[in-house]
Amino acid sequence: MSKFRFRWSNVYLLIVFLILYAPIAFLIFYSFNSGTTMDHFDGFTLQHYGELLADSRLIAIVLNTLLIALLSALLATTIGTMGALWIDRLSRPFFKNTVLSLNNILIVSPDVIIGASFLIFFTMLHVPLGFSSVLLSHIAFSIPIVVLMVLPRLREMNRSMLDAAADLGANRRQIFSSVILPFITPGIFSGFFMALTYSLDDFAVTFFVTGNGFSTLSVEIYSRARQGISLEINALSALMFIVTLIMIVGYYFVQQSASRRRRREAR
Amino acid sequence: MVEPIVSLKNVHKRYGDAEVLKGITIDLEQGKFYTLLGPSGCGKTTILRIIAGFSDATEGDVYFNGDRINDLPANKRKVNTVFQDYALFPHMNVHDNVAYGLNLQKTAKNEIDDRVQQALTSVRLADYGNREISELSGGQKQRVAIARAIVMQPKMLLLDEPLSALDAKLRRDMQYELRDLQERLGITFLFVTHDQEEALAMSDEIFVMNVGQVLQSGSPVDIYDEPINHFVADFIGESNILTGKMIRDYEVEFVGKRFECADGGMAPNEPVEVVLRPEDLDITTVDDGKLTVTIDSQLFRGDYYEIIAYDGDHNEWLIHSTNPATDGETVGLTFEPYDIHVMRLHESEAEFDARIETYTEETPEDEGAASHE
Amino acid sequence: MSNRRFSNWAFYVPYGLWIGLFVIAPVALIIYQSFLNLDHHFSLENYATFFKSSTYLMMTVNSVWWAFLITIFTLLISYPTAYFIHQLKHAQLWLLLVIMPTWINILLKAYAFIGIFSQSGIINQFLGLFGIGPEQFLFTNASFLFVATYIQIPFMILPIYNALDDLNPSFINASRDLGATNWQTFSKVTWPLTLPGVKAGIQSVFIPSLSLFMLTRLIGGNKVITLGTAIEEHFLTTMNWGMGSTIGVILIIAMVIIMILTGDRKSSEGRLTR
Repeated sequence: MSKFRFRWSNVYLLIVFLILYAPIAFLIFYSFNSGTTMDHFDGFTLQHYGELLADSRLIAIVLNTLLIALLSALLATTIGTMGALWIDRLSRPFFKNTVLSLNNILIVSPDVIIGASFLIFFTMLHVPLGFSSVLLSHIAFSIPIVVLMVLPRLREMNRSMLDAAADLGANRRQIFSSVILPFITPGIFSGFFMALTYSLDDFAVTFFVTGNGFSTLSVEIYSRARQGISLEINALSALMFIVTLIMIVGYYFVQQSASRRRRREAR
Repeated sequence: MVEPIVSLKNVHKRYGDAEVLKGITIDLEQGKFYTLLGPSGCGKTTILRIIAGFSDATEGDVYFNGDRINDLPANKRKVNTVFQDYALFPHMNVHDNVAYGLNLQKTAKNEIDDRVQQALTSVRLADYGNREISELSGGQKQRVAIARAIVMQPKMLLLDEPLSALDAKLRRDMQYELRDLQERLGITFLFVTHDQEEALAMSDEIFVMNVGQVLQSGSPVDIYDEPINHFVADFIGESNILTGKMIRDYEVEFVGKRFECADGGMAPNEPVEVVLRPEDLDITTVDDGKLTVTIDSQLFRGDYYEIIAYDGDHNEWLIHSTNPATDGETVGLTFEPYDIHVMRLHESEAEFDARIETYTEETPEDEGAASHE
Repeated sequence: MSNRRFSNWAFYVPYGLWIGLFVIAPVALIIYQSFLNLDHHFSLENYATFFKSSTYLMMTVNSVWWAFLITIFTLLISYPTAYFIHQLKHAQLWLLLVIMPTWINILLKAYAFIGIFSQSGIINQFLGLFGIGPEQFLFTNASFLFVATYIQIPFMILPIYNALDDLNPSFINASRDLGATNWQTFSKVTWPLTLPGVKAGIQSVFIPSLSLFMLTRLIGGNKVITLGTAIEEHFLTTMNWGMGSTIGVILIIAMVIIMILTGDRKSSEGRLTR
């Protein structure tokens, strides 16, 4: 009886996972299609990958997207980490909760609201729409997530460890660099990875603040998809899938070593 | 008198309206093992933190070698702390943990290595330098924490309940080791604990604390034999505490009878409390007994039987005996006059000491209570 | 002391600037803008238009209705999935496999569905084997619902899984021990104790569903107009920012109501991967 039930749950999971991965597999499969549609597989070809590599406009957009992602993640990680350190020091609970609520506003807000309000903001300040506005937006919506990744690590930190460092003669700066910073590094890394994926994944906010002339990959795919099917995009998505896979593996290892360390500390 | 290395003068600590320390004055001399003993929340750890420099005294002065150090930050004080949760740095190995303070002082590399090795050897972890903290057992972490503190060659080592996370057997071993280490190094230890057995076993001098005050200080034997009040008597060891009346010097009345005792210096007919330690009570026949009780129940504790009995007035008596008793049997209880310890109500430590002075000739040097069984 | 003050400054100035410029200012601006009419005069005109127009009101009701449907379907699929995954041996690895599709750009997934649902797409070819079709799938409400649900599933599974993981297994054993059947254990112990996870999941699915706009174009063929579509339209097509902001404020209010209804959420993990 129990064995029977067990098998049904696996069948259910199998269907869910099939549906989750079907579109991705579908995209990658047709990227090798020598035809021009996603209807019939006419034969194997790498032609679309060739077109992709020859499409200098698309490659420039990919580079832009990566540049925005790296820069925004780096800056958001720096500012977010400092913010987390500051929030952690706040002693008045009311003030602390207020700051935390403000921090979380951008996380819970719908993308459309963020995009629209940033558009008003940039227009009022006469920030030209393009690279700078997109970069600023990406930094802005990545900061709170970095804070949320670093704060728990700070909370886990044993306060008597700081006393111990002072007791052994460390001043403020030495305590920070030799105890606090090494301890929260896994949180900072997680924050950086999350910021990177937020940025790479974002469509809606960028769509609002990008203006003409500057484009990220999401926006470009949107405009191409509205025009119909182009197997070049399939080739692109296959490549992106591989990159994503590599990033996930990297992130997974960071997480694993962090949680392994946490487990060991708990012992 | 020897110049104390650390003195607290009338130290108060308040958090808002709550007063955690209510005027602490203590002197700690070079080379002694001191213990702050009290229930949790009595303020003992706060004293430690004030000496270490982690918190400030709201009022009063802290002296180190005669200098006032209230405003000296923790990293400039020549005292080091062993923390309750060890507070080892998880991202450094054992050697780097112990070397941490020396590295900050920019001590020469080879001197650091020598001193770290010496410190690790003295806590019997000579071969553990390359281990990660996460690979250590609780007892080993404890030793690393001690090594990390003593490598700094402090004038005084502060230990905040360092044994509380260890299991019973390891605890006993560490008690011996700590005492031994303190004698070898010759530095002052200030040990904080809520465990009275630990305090009695290790200390040269104990400060018994409750609700922010030092109630009594003295050698373990003094405190055990001559508790100043109900709280101390109850907290240190086990006791039978009864209300009574001091008839005259050396005669006290409780449970409706009069007994010869060794205390004096009180007003005639003054209401008092009387302490009888359970190991001082001997079971005998009803005819030979000073009191008659009925055995209610007993538990075997390994090295003795813990017996509970009731007298005719329903007072409960706790008796420690090497021999078992029979439940329900009526027996006699006997004790010596110096087994009775009389406490005045609301007497301070100073008044207590002064009163003892007035009749010392009558008090034998080692009262029977010290010999367990 | 001065050292301390200096380092505090360094810590909160950039972060404080961010809160001021990118959190408080934009919210304030969108509220301010919502009171400006087309001539940039301060008025309640936009709100009056909104509440008098049956189109806007119907659109709001529709938007809530679609978000509600998406949330319900997502929950129905996700709870058993999370529950079954939690019982697997390498649950963490399987969970990672659930999260992985969220790391693929949402546009690419939408694009894939265009191919799958198209007139001569794989679904219609499959149905053709049974002599059915070809049917119109793309640009229908059903396809919109399907794709939106597809996209939201991982965000629902994650908080529910975490809630299941936090559940002390002793509770389950205790319930069994006291004579409860599997179903009784589930309905009286597991479900109530994992409800916080369900609420967190609902929050992280419902709110974004209210404001979807890209899927309504690519998959729904503009048949479904959500609040999000309307905002995008007003800001980027008709350039009526005042009206767009008004709808934005309505959306924010709806969002706050949802948050209050589903209570405080402990973590935002459900949306970590957005």
